Amino acid sequence: MTTEDQNGLATEAISEYVSVRIGDQLFGAPVDAIREVFTPTSVTDVPLAPNEVAGLLNLRGRIVTAIDARTRLGLPPRSADETGMALGVERGSEIFGLIVDSVGEVLRRPSAELEPVPAHVDAVWRSMVKGVHRLETELLAVIDVSAVIGSAAGKEAA
Amino acid sequence: MRGSLGIARQIWRELLATGPTMDDLISEFLTETSESLDVIDSELVRFENNPEDRAILDNIFRLLHTVKGTCGFLGLPRLEAVAHAGETLLGKFRDGELSVTPPMVTLVLESIDQIKVLLESLEATGSEPAGEDSALIKRLEDAALGRMSDAAPAPEAKSDPEPAAEDEAGFDQDLGRELRPGEVSLAELEAAFQSAQPDAEAEAEAIGVGDFDPELGRELRVGEVSAAELEAAFQSAEPDPGMAPPPVTAITSDMSTEEALQTAMSELRGDDTAPGADGAPRVQQTVRVGVDVLEALMTTVSELVLTRNQLMQTVRGLEDDDLKGPLQRLSAVTGELQDGVMKTRMQPIGDAWRKLPRIIRDVSTDLGKKIELVMEGQDTELDRQVLELIKDPLTHMVRNSADHGLEMPEDRVKAGKPEKGTVKLAAYHEGGHIIISIADDGKGLDTKRIGEKALEKGLTTHEELSRMNEAQIHRFIFAAGFSTAAKVTNLSGRGVGMDVVRTNIEQIGGVVDVSSTAGKGTHFSIKIPLTLAIVSALIIGCNEQRFAIPQLAVRELVRVGAGSEHSVETLNNARVMRLRDRLMPIVDLRECLGLSSERDVEEEAGFVVVIDAGGRNIGVVVDNVLDTEEIVVKPLSESLRGVQAYSGATILGDGSVIMILDPNGLAGEIISSMEDEASADAAAAAVNEMAETQRLLLVRAGGEEPKAVPLSLVTRLEEFDPETIEVTNGRDVVQYRGRLMPIVPMGAQIQCMEGQRQPVLVFAENHTSIGLAVDEIVDVVEERVDLQMGSDREGVIGSAIIKGKATDVVDIAWYLDQSRAADVQRRASSARRRILLVDADAFARRMIAPLLAAAGYDVMPAGGMHEVQAIAESEERFDALVGDPAALERIQSQGLWTDLPTIAVTDWPEDSGAEGLTAVLPRSDRSALIATLDQVSQGEAA
Repeated sequence: MTTEDQNGLATEAISEYVSVRIGDQLFGAPVDAIREVFTPTSVTDVPLAPNEVAGLLNLRGRIVTAIDARTRLGLPPRSADETGMALGVERGSEIFGLIVDSVGEVLRRPSAELEPVPAHVDAVWRSMVKGVHRLETELLAVIDVSAVIGSAAGKEAA
Repeated sequence: MRGSLGIARQIWRELLATGPTMDDLISEFLTETSESLDVIDSELVRFENNPEDRAILDNIFRLLHTVKGTCGFLGLPRLEAVAHAGETLLGKFRDGELSVTPPMVTLVLESIDQIKVLLESLEATGSEPAGEDSALIKRLEDAALGRMSDAAPAPEAKSDPEPAAEDEAGFDQDLGRELRPGEVSLAELEAAFQSAQPDAEAEAEAIGVGDFDPELGRELRVGEVSAAELEAAFQSAEPDPGMAPPPVTAITSDMSTEEALQTAMSELRGDDTAPGADGAPRVQQTVRVGVDVLEALMTTVSELVLTRNQLMQTVRGLEDDDLKGPLQRLSAVTGELQDGVMKTRMQPIGDAWRKLPRIIRDVSTDLGKKIELVMEGQDTELDRQVLELIKDPLTHMVRNSADHGLEMPEDRVKAGKPEKGTVKLAAYHEGGHIIISIADDGKGLDTKRIGEKALEKGLTTHEELSRMNEAQIHRFIFAAGFSTAAKVTNLSGRGVGMDVVRTNIEQIGGVVDVSSTAGKGTHFSIKIPLTLAIVSALIIGCNEQRFAIPQLAVRELVRVGAGSEHSVETLNNARVMRLRDRLMPIVDLRECLGLSSERDVEEEAGFVVVIDAGGRNIGVVVDNVLDTEEIVVKPLSESLRGVQAYSGATILGDGSVIMILDPNGLAGEIISSMEDEASADAAAAAVNEMAETQRLLLVRAGGEEPKAVPLSLVTRLEEFDPETIEVTNGRDVVQYRGRLMPIVPMGAQIQCMEGQRQPVLVFAENHTSIGLAVDEIVDVVEERVDLQMGSDREGVIGSAIIKGKATDVVDIAWYLDQSRAADVQRRASSARRRILLVDADAFARRMIAPLLAAAGYDVMPAGGMHEVQAIAESEERFDALVGDPAALERIQSQGLWTDLPTIAVTDWPEDSGAEGLTAVLPRSDRSALIATLDQVSQGEAA
């Protein structure tokens, strides 16, 4: 991934994103919102749980609620053999794991280049995407991690 | 003392650094002061019994003194004034000027109470409440003055610097007296400074005085507390009374204040390490750590333990001795660490008992009882969280024992017991649990009254009650709704509130039980887990998944299906299981959890876990019972909190996460429908326009058209082999549970179909059962029934439209009377008369209401006084009251419907006082009831 704008002299604000892929789309999760990245293993299914809850898993002695980003974004489910990767997000005393398809490198983009989400994008997406960076080959949609995890805590910026 | 000193040090540090943050200080002050006050409470009670014990008095005095000093420092004048007045009175005791009497102690305790009230308000609002306490202070001062042997003025009665200064003069002679006034004044402060000066380790240090220059007012308050500390310092540390006052140097009062404070601090610190000096409490090295820090430590350690376990498992397969040694050490250290962290959460149970001596004293003074409180095992440690939760229930139970359990002294003497009653509190460890027992040697529980009350509250039926032993009846005191006390902390309430106690104890995974011997006393025992974090759970399998059910909620396990004597049956698609002559509702866990349910619960082998959900037994069908395990309960994340089926999640020993099922949540729907049913039951008997939905059993008998029987009346459904039905004395009977049960055909005759079993509705009443034979049980429906009265046919109350069809509603009472070959005198009544039926026993209401309705009365049933009152308020008119004697008497005592005839029906007519009642009839004699009713209501009409 190229980061041409990064010349070391820039005094302008730089945003760092963990690039993740969900479906065909490249997303960027703000680095400071992510506690860690891990492979979700032995996820316990929770009957009766809301759809987006993929289950619970044990992350070094702490119980993590796994949220499936695909479900939240209204995308079709992954095939059964793909486990995906999880972004660990701490909210209050709880840890959530946001399950994405794959995790790429950390991208640095000038904050000023963040463009608003076009108005005709699906409302569900717009509620979870804070803006778009134009990369050379594709678009990087910056997700509001907290909004993707959703529910009671509201949609404060991550 | 330690607390106050701690605060003072902290204040000092704060002043030096960033200036004080008053809120923090006040909250710290609140914590430590309330601890001190608890100690004062119990010490005062001890002191009252041992007025000669100087050490106790000194301790009380010192504690109150430091409370006062800190109040002064924080600018809390009301608190300070009350504390001061109390301290003054104590000072008189200390100097032997006054002798200790119970009223005096009560007065001091009152001042402590007032301080607590003020503290509560301080905690709630952050400031002292408006108002003043001059009345209390005046009484304290009067007490201090009024009984003094000599007429010397009491300088300490007023917060006036002059007398204090006078006292200062007497300092050389009498150190003890020096402290007595407890004055907080600048004069004293100066003196303190002067005396402290020779010992000061350093000259005035360059401290950040400027930090608090601007606020003189606060400055003075600093001085005040330092004086208080100084007094304490002098009391114990000043060895040489004859010191020469040093020359007064040109130091600002600000500076001297600070130096004095510092000096006092160092003195105090020195004193702390000198053990036993003047009985000063030794300062233990303690650090206050936030609970969240400890919780985080717990989590980390659990994680470490888990990792260790995994590592051990991996290494077990290897033959690597180099690894084994270090790993063993790691394992041992991890274990120690775990123990250590667990220990940080432990507190002696004595902390929860500290308030009790005071409470017992209050009870004994208020009620004129003589009570001794014996406490054993105060050092028994348990998890602080558990301790917090057990505190209020315990206090409540001890108070109960003293209040309700122990008799008055004269009664005790009459009963041949010592005048002084004993309440004994003990705590000890037993197999991973803490047992707390509360025993009194009082009169024991009143079995009869409890039984009556249980009936009145509709918790049981006469029938059930008569089968119970004493212990079972006693347990009703824990039943929900037995008592009216709303809160366990409501100590002033006269209600027992034991159901709340039980709920609180069960919430923390504990069990409470009671045993009582009439005339000997009552003994409560509470069994609680050492820690809340870990509970014992049953691990069950369902649909290839594992779930945990808290062991506490599990009543028993029953194997069902192939090869088992138990099986799941259905009643209109609702699953039930017979368990010891009871029908128990059954739910399938798969269905509860929305999992695929392709199996046939009725056929397939499986397990039924009988759980206690909200006091009712419910069977949960699971595939497998796997294990029991100690689990660490972890709360659910917010995304899952809405799912009622779970109470939490846990990590098993193998590292996998499983859900913990919540019995109440699981049974939530069932229970709510059961409650509907219960309320429908109450209404079912009301054969009037107020009809609500009822559950009706539809049967066919003697014809194709269905007949309806209120399900609530039916005790059991049975099927008999036609061959077992015998004929004696011209009646059909069947041997049922070792007795002969008459069988009455609902149709014209019993139609014995070859090879088919005869369905029978069994009605049980007063130890006798009666069977009503039908052709077929069709269905159970729940409908709103508008019953049309006036059926001429025998055995039919009337018709109603059920499931769109006109259906006869069967008059069970008529059939029951048939079986007894008794004639019910049935009168065609021209004018409808209204009866208010008051019986706490729902079963009785159900039985009597249809009977009366069938005899041509409109019946308004009421289960309790609440309902009666509501009915009275709606100004309903009735022609007669029918009900159990206790209820009728209560209605009369409240002056309701006093002009109406009252007919009591009871199982024990000979036991009931008949005062004021028109008639008392045995419940079993229906004919007499109808006859009497007809008679009295005719009389009314005439």
